[in-house]
Amino acid sequence: MIRIAAAGDVHLGRETAGTYRPRLEGLPDRADVFLVAGDLTRHGTPEEGRIVAAELRDLGLPVIAVLGNHDHQSGAQDEVAAILADAGIMVLEGTGTVLDVAGTRLGVAGGKGFGGGFAGRCASDFGEREMKDFVGVTKRFAARFGAALDALDCDVKVALTHYSPSADTLEGEPLEIYPFLGSYLIAEPVDAAGAALAVHGHAHAGTEKGATPGGVRVRNVALPVIKQAYAVYELAAV
Amino acid sequence: MTDEYVAAHVQEAIAAGTHELGVRVDVRGGVVVLRGQVAAAGRCAEIEAAARAAAEGFQVRNEVSVVPLEEPAGGETLR
Repeated sequence: MIRIAAAGDVHLGRETAGTYRPRLEGLPDRADVFLVAGDLTRHGTPEEGRIVAAELRDLGLPVIAVLGNHDHQSGAQDEVAAILADAGIMVLEGTGTVLDVAGTRLGVAGGKGFGGGFAGRCASDFGEREMKDFVGVTKRFAARFGAALDALDCDVKVALTHYSPSADTLEGEPLEIYPFLGSYLIAEPVDAAGAALAVHGHAHAGTEKGATPGGVRVRNVALPVIKQAYAVYELAAV
Repeated sequence: MTDEYVAAHVQEAIAAGTHELGVRVDVRGGVVVLRGQVAAAGRCAEIEAAARAAAEGFQVRNEVSVVPLEEPAGGETLR
């Protein structure tokens, strides 16, 4: 059994410093790895990055994170990522990593991702430069993310993004904003890689459980959705 | 001002002023209603202040609450 703890949209800031860590004390007993699905901060400043690092460092289990749109707000995303990495938190951005969990090799690939919408109701790579730029960001991410998933030499694969690979887990959000919440382009590589689970955040008013078009389970772990400090998913070991 | 524009301007003001994007803003019966969940009580007050400043002359009903952060009781087994 591989036990995956996950949470997203923690939105830590000066006024919440020190409030999350006490809720994570039981993590090493409940899970083998902690995945954090972006929006670690509120404004994306280095100061907030240091607050997040203090909350998530040395928890007694591997912590793997991706950044979210809030973590990009101040243009300091690279610095925030470096601060987290210095604290021993692995930050994925179109990259992956493999952990040994009691003899089973767990591979996690991920990154922030981006929007665009879902098949039949999505933005097209066409027309104005700005529209091509928007769709292009997601397309380029999907290519790197797919390559990272393929490259994982492991028994069980898990995908970790901030933006959603599925419309299912957006249920509760206004339909009109789905294109700003995720993209089917994120789901395609998840399906192609035969992942066991895809975890994301970003959609605060969404729904926890869904699936990709190919049937891979998707879980929206944004804190306002799971309404607890983290969720735990148990996958069969191979 | 038309209710729909008021709601849009309040939403913009909350995003720009507090960086909280998960707040639903509706105008119902002439009252600006705020809904959603945030990480700390102080942020509810900031959101309300931003909304009041952007919707002068309107009543504001703040139903934004703080996300509960208890440790989970159990996990989900994926078969």
